[in-house]
Amino acid sequence: MDPRNLIRFLQGRRLDGALALAALLLALLPATWLLPWTGDLARLLSAPLAPVTHAGIYLRDRVRPPRESFDPRSPEALALGQEIARYQSLYEQARLELEQSQRSLEALRAVRARIGSAGGAESQLIEASVIAGDASRPLGVLLLNAGERHGVRAGSAALVGSDLFAGVIAKDVGRFSSSLIPSARLSSIGVRLYPAEGSDPRQPVAAYPGAVLKPTGTGTFTAAVATTMPLAPGMIARLADDRYGRAALGSRVGVVLSVEPVDEAPNARKIVVQPLVDFGELASVIIVSDGAASAAEGEVR
Amino acid sequence: MNWAVAIAALLIAAAFDAGFGSVLSIGPLRGQLLPAVVVFALLSAPRRSALRLAMIAGLIADLLAPVVLPNAGPLQDVLVVPGPRVLGFALGALAVLQLRSLLYRQNPLSGALATAVFSILVAVSFVFLWSLRGVLYDQGTPWSPASGASEIWLRLFSALGDGLVALPALWLLGKTRPLWGFTVASRVVPGMARQGT
Repeated sequence: MDPRNLIRFLQGRRLDGALALAALLLALLPATWLLPWTGDLARLLSAPLAPVTHAGIYLRDRVRPPRESFDPRSPEALALGQEIARYQSLYEQARLELEQSQRSLEALRAVRARIGSAGGAESQLIEASVIAGDASRPLGVLLLNAGERHGVRAGSAALVGSDLFAGVIAKDVGRFSSSLIPSARLSSIGVRLYPAEGSDPRQPVAAYPGAVLKPTGTGTFTAAVATTMPLAPGMIARLADDRYGRAALGSRVGVVLSVEPVDEAPNARKIVVQPLVDFGELASVIIVSDGAASAAEGEVR
Repeated sequence: MNWAVAIAALLIAAAFDAGFGSVLSIGPLRGQLLPAVVVFALLSAPRRSALRLAMIAGLIADLLAPVVLPNAGPLQDVLVVPGPRVLGFALGALAVLQLRSLLYRQNPLSGALATAVFSILVAVSFVFLWSLRGVLYDQGTPWSPASGASEIWLRLFSALGDGLVALPALWLLGKTRPLWGFTVASRVVPGMARQGT
């Protein structure tokens, strides 16, 4: 091709039309054609942006410190509160596991195998920082600076502050980065609803209502709960969905904002649940990678 | 126009929005810096360069905003679609390029207004293209399960936020004008030269 023609093409109006046409074509390509390469391209772009994003996050924390900073309680009391919340989660996790085991007597052998690795050495904890995200929406997918090399697996749960369920790692895990789907964007989450003060050890787990939370798209969840048990605002929704890994069971997903009757079903009530994680303010998460065994095994960042 | 400076400014603005952006939001009103940077270039750069820069900005915005693919299972995938914002930014750029001869550039409000108009057109184009994808492939949209109308409404608020952010941003960017290398062409009017007395 004659270089002069190329230069004329680059300077001409036809290039603008060609670019717009290419953009339209790309915008309408099926997902199967885009998935293999666009994620990698996005990761490539986000890598050089990470320092500026981190500087922005640092600045943001200076301008608007995390809410905990305004807590008038002493650091010791705060630490104790966190310990209590952590052990409460561990306790609820153990209870949920027990209940599941009892329900699955037919698959006892498989359940025993699972219990054998409960919270064991095969679970790897990976701390990851947010390096990019969709700035146009608070519930967009977040890019994290940990990937396959750090032991991150697709479907791993991500927690904040030891027991808040933040979301799940998406399928396209890169070597050095991965994408976090916020819990408020997951298609469904199975939870159990407990009073804010915790559950009564004398009551069976089944005494507390279960629900399948669906995202509303505005940052909250909704669910129809068919139960005669008391439901009230302030109840805590804890993860009771083993699709998201055993380590995340019992972690706090959200708090019940409102309870309304459903006209069509007298026994059912509609609840609205507010996630406990503020995704707009998220700077880092802990990824719980179950059964991770890679070259970077044991590397906890 | 100095392309290296322009692209660096776009990347810094995109990273700034990702890191610091949540501070610039009040309820649904969420301002971004990237549209202001694009509008700054649109108001001063040659027409063709400005349009291409806007498309690059759209590509950056698309690449940094993956969407969740609907899936019933726990393993959900995310998809990066380069295109909707590229076309949106191009449409917004064409509108601002038409407007710029009418705008009084010394007035800070005119830049903010241009940014808001730009963002509204980006939003309309973005929602239209994603709705089209949804119809073609029966796929989820970035605003799913909310409706496209509610997304437009939300983005209208964001456009207002973008306009507000543009007020200080355009003033600050104006201070960096020498770095951008905009060429200023003055029109020669035929006729007798005015003589001083």
